[in-house]
Amino acid sequence: MNIEYFSHLMIMSGIFIILAVSLNLINGICGELSLGHAGFWAIGAYVGGSYGVFYALPLPNFLNLAISCGLGFVAASLAGLIIGVPCLRLRGDYLAIATLGFGEIIRIIIMNMDVVGGPRGLTGIPKWSNLPLIYFFVVITIIFMANLVRGTHGRAIISIREDEIAADCMGIYTFKYKTLAFVLGAGFAGIAGALYAHYQEFISPNSFSFMWSVIILIMVILGGLGSITGSIVGAVILTILPELLRFMGETISEWRMLIYSVLLIVLMLLRPSGIFGKKEFNVLALFSKKEAQ
Amino acid sequence: MTVDKKIIMQTKDLTIRFGGLVAVNNFNMKIEEGELIGIIGPNGAGKTTIFNMITGVYVPTSGSVDLEGKSIVGQHVSHITQKGIARTFQNIRLFKDLSVIDNIKLAAHYRTNYSLFDSIIRNKKFKNEEERIYNEAMEILKIFGLEKKSTLLAKNLPYGEQRRLEIARALATRPKLLLLDEPAAGMNPKETNDLTELIRWVRDHFKISILLIEHDMKLVMNVCERIYVVDHGEEIAMGLPKEIQNNKKVIEAYLGTSDEEAL
Ligand SMILES: Nc1ncnc2c1ncn2[C@@H]1O[C@H](COP(=O)(O)OP(=O)(O)OP(=O)(O)O)[C@@H](O)[C@H]1O
Ligand SMILES: [Mg+2]
Repeated sequence: MNIEYFSHLMIMSGIFIILAVSLNLINGICGELSLGHAGFWAIGAYVGGSYGVFYALPLPNFLNLAISCGLGFVAASLAGLIIGVPCLRLRGDYLAIATLGFGEIIRIIIMNMDVVGGPRGLTGIPKWSNLPLIYFFVVITIIFMANLVRGTHGRAIISIREDEIAADCMGIYTFKYKTLAFVLGAGFAGIAGALYAHYQEFISPNSFSFMWSVIILIMVILGGLGSITGSIVGAVILTILPELLRFMGETISEWRMLIYSVLLIVLMLLRPSGIFGKKEFNVLALFSKKEAQ
Repeated sequence: MTVDKKIIMQTKDLTIRFGGLVAVNNFNMKIEEGELIGIIGPNGAGKTTIFNMITGVYVPTSGSVDLEGKSIVGQHVSHITQKGIARTFQNIRLFKDLSVIDNIKLAAHYRTNYSLFDSIIRNKKFKNEEERIYNEAMEILKIFGLEKKSTLLAKNLPYGEQRRLEIARALATRPKLLLLDEPAAGMNPKETNDLTELIRWVRDHFKISILLIEHDMKLVMNVCERIYVVDHGEEIAMGLPKEIQNNKKVIEAYLGTSDEEAL
């Protein structure tokens, strides 16, 4: 395996780690079902990419990338707010239905926007991402999520998953925290989008099809809904697995989705709550085992 | 000379309909500061529904709920809790997969003074507040004898302790009025006795009013100062435990149903 190919896999793993960890905030930690994560990814990619193509400032690459990610975050979280507020006010599965539609609507809107290339895609995006910069954002995302769940806002989000009525009765305005989780999850997918655009230099509406929303969801479920560590592991496995399958030949590669499904079914039979369940792998806990007893 | 005590909570003609069923009809009640009141009645009488209307889980079809003289009807459940009404549930609703202490910490959420940003960068403000929340939570757990189990998952507690944790969690929201929905359900006689003591002690120690629904007549007659009896959504009697025990309508209501706990 040559170094370039290895670095490509690392980069794609990093981007999918951000996507999976951010979807985990919505689906795993808060317990709401979102089925349109690729839509927020697309918004981040197109907003970040457009900044690179049309408005890039004469700044060092890493600063431009940071601006691009910031814009991707803001745009995607705004979209999250617009979809989230009406759906999250209601109890039930409105969010699942709305996000399902949203992912496709975003794609169709982009298809019909000539400024960003329509169906041909957006070309000439400056290559600002590289391995260390992408992992800088990966680390930021993970630290953000890990610190979030250990504070009162994160606890409030978790309590919604555990029992929404009980959470209300504890004085937690659950609507606010469902919205917070959804908007933050969407925002971080936007960051992943900007990083992706500035790595690929070219994006098209088809890069963000519904299938990707499903794959990111599978990453989260595979690792264990609610576990940040699990999402990281799930993202890495499902980024590398198709590459391994590709080595085994064209036909196997085409059966990818089937293989995922089988993998998922086997997992649900053996470990229904995913590889990690809701648990986290904690480096510190390894050293302080005795204390914990 | 009798000085009227302050009324903490009052319902006026509280009514709720579910389709054709009038689950609660023109229910009026008053609770004064520091009172310990019971609601009893046969299964399906509408007791839990009254709790759900007081706490905002259900919006009444008509009538009102006043907390310290101000109507709270239509307000969100969480705002009503913040204003001072806390409750437990007939079927325990703990955050099962969270630790015992996290269950209590969540009750302090609305009184926590740091922003999302503080919690991400883990600054001094965050650490101080978390320490305060932790200490307060441990204090409550100590009162309920659960401090040694603070790191266990709530679902791993024995049943009686889960019931106690739920009361502890409700108290941690710092209520003025505590609603307990069948706190002794599923408890053995020893646990029920301890609970009776605990309820009285909580009222005196925290200086709050308590309203409880209970099928265990011994507990109700022991601990409540006044009792409301509901049947088919309506109040059929109200008075001191002794008066209730000898009330004809009450005896009929209980004998008329297959309720095993005859008075
Ligand atoms: N959300 C609802 N929708 C329809 N009917 C309801 C609803 N909630 C309660 N009811 C009905 O209202 C009536 C009163 O129920 P409630 O739970 O208040 O009784 P209860 O007095 O608490 O009984 P128990 O002692 O068995 O707990 C019942 O007939 C019940 O079926
Ligand atoms: Mg009931």
